[in-house]
Amino acid sequence: MNRVVVTGMGVVSPLGNDIAATFDALVAMRSAIRRLEGPGTERLVNRLGAPVMFDPQPHFDAAKLRMLDRVSQLALFTAAQAVRAAGDPFADPARAGVSIGTGMAGAQSADDAYRTLYADRSDRLKPFTVLLAMNNAPASWIGLEYGLTGPNLTYSTACSSSAVAIGEAARRIERGEADVMIAGGAEACLNFGTLKAWEALRTLAVEDASDASASCKPFAKDRSGLVLGEGAAMLVLESRERALARGATILAEIAGYGLVTDATHITRPSVEGQAAAIRAALADARMDAQDIRYINAHGTGTQANDGVETAAIKQVFGAQAYKVPVSSTKSMHGHLLGAAGALEMAISIEAIARGVAPPTRNLRVADPECDLDYVSDGAREVKGLDAVMSSSFAFGGTNAVLIVKNS
Amino acid sequence: MTVLERLTALLERDFGIPKASLDADATLESLDIDSLRLIEIVFAVEEEFKVAMPQDQGEIRGRVKTLGDLAELIGELAAK
Repeated sequence: MNRVVVTGMGVVSPLGNDIAATFDALVAMRSAIRRLEGPGTERLVNRLGAPVMFDPQPHFDAAKLRMLDRVSQLALFTAAQAVRAAGDPFADPARAGVSIGTGMAGAQSADDAYRTLYADRSDRLKPFTVLLAMNNAPASWIGLEYGLTGPNLTYSTACSSSAVAIGEAARRIERGEADVMIAGGAEACLNFGTLKAWEALRTLAVEDASDASASCKPFAKDRSGLVLGEGAAMLVLESRERALARGATILAEIAGYGLVTDATHITRPSVEGQAAAIRAALADARMDAQDIRYINAHGTGTQANDGVETAAIKQVFGAQAYKVPVSSTKSMHGHLLGAAGALEMAISIEAIARGVAPPTRNLRVADPECDLDYVSDGAREVKGLDAVMSSSFAFGGTNAVLIVKNS
Repeated sequence: MTVLERLTALLERDFGIPKASLDADATLESLDIDSLRLIEIVFAVEEEFKVAMPQDQGEIRGRVKTLGDLAELIGELAAK
């Protein structure tokens, strides 16, 4: 079995358009969550979001741009960053592939099309509506960009989509089925229709009375829900042997991947399912709980998740649960749905590189159910921070946990 | 009709919960109303009574343990 390493990383997040800027913002406890402005937003009850500041014009020519939903723009932009960092990793394109997670993919284009049909009462849709909106567009565009003829895969398991995409890509490299994979996630879900649908489910955070940017409060007694964010994150994965042979810089090793489905309820998370996924990731990594130096939690800020997740960590980690720093960076970048796992994996890798655990913002009074060390008073230097666990738990029940370590 | 009577009629009509099991002390749990069913009921209540229920699901669940609690909350919101 090959050991799988990360040799390139690309990020566009609500906190910045690369991993350094994103992590700097986390350390500074700067939140990208804000009240959304623009046409239609006055019809939202929950007006919060964490948008990305990204102008596609300099990056794509006009003809190409007409074919790219925002989700594909973000995917291509981050893939380019990752490939550049990895230093020309595609010696044999037939042995190279793409593995992307997305929850809603081209939701913006679908929303635009429905507006044209139903609100504007026009019968003329844009010629590329299907190509813009299709779920596999982000992965396909990346494959086309680099001419990669290996597997081109799209995973959609809601909030764990990109953790699954990274885990499954790592498996292919482990087994020698591919030499190199671009793996990650992309989401661009801040359109009116999607926001309204989430609002109807009553899982979105209520705006904080004094500070909109403080509205997402993972693990807090007064948490009221999640805030949707957009963005993308991509990793270049390859075998350790190959990376060393070509003299690539190794950023980290994907040490473990656990995948367990609840099969109990379409939305309600289960302690047993989450704990089983954590145990599976540890077993896959051949690591014990005390080897994990920081946990980047799923930590959505919903009533349902945070207590269950805390209980799951305690079930597996026992007394060690109280010693390991646990934080939810969603408190600042929001919930990127299908891209969340990939962004949080990139943050976890950067945490190892800097020896710093990023904090949980907006946690003043913890829920009594949530009694771990959530790093709520600011980013923390952690001695020997060489292994991080990142959890992604989804509507539908697909729980994916990744462990990344210093290589 | 009282709020509670309208509410029980709504629950029987739209959610198939037999009226016999619906009294003010009936808990949501005893009626098998989980988080998702509650959101559906909240939506139906907003349509029926023309009220805006709290957006925070936790706030609703903290306040509403029984049908009587739900009727009381609707009554308060309707009076506003």
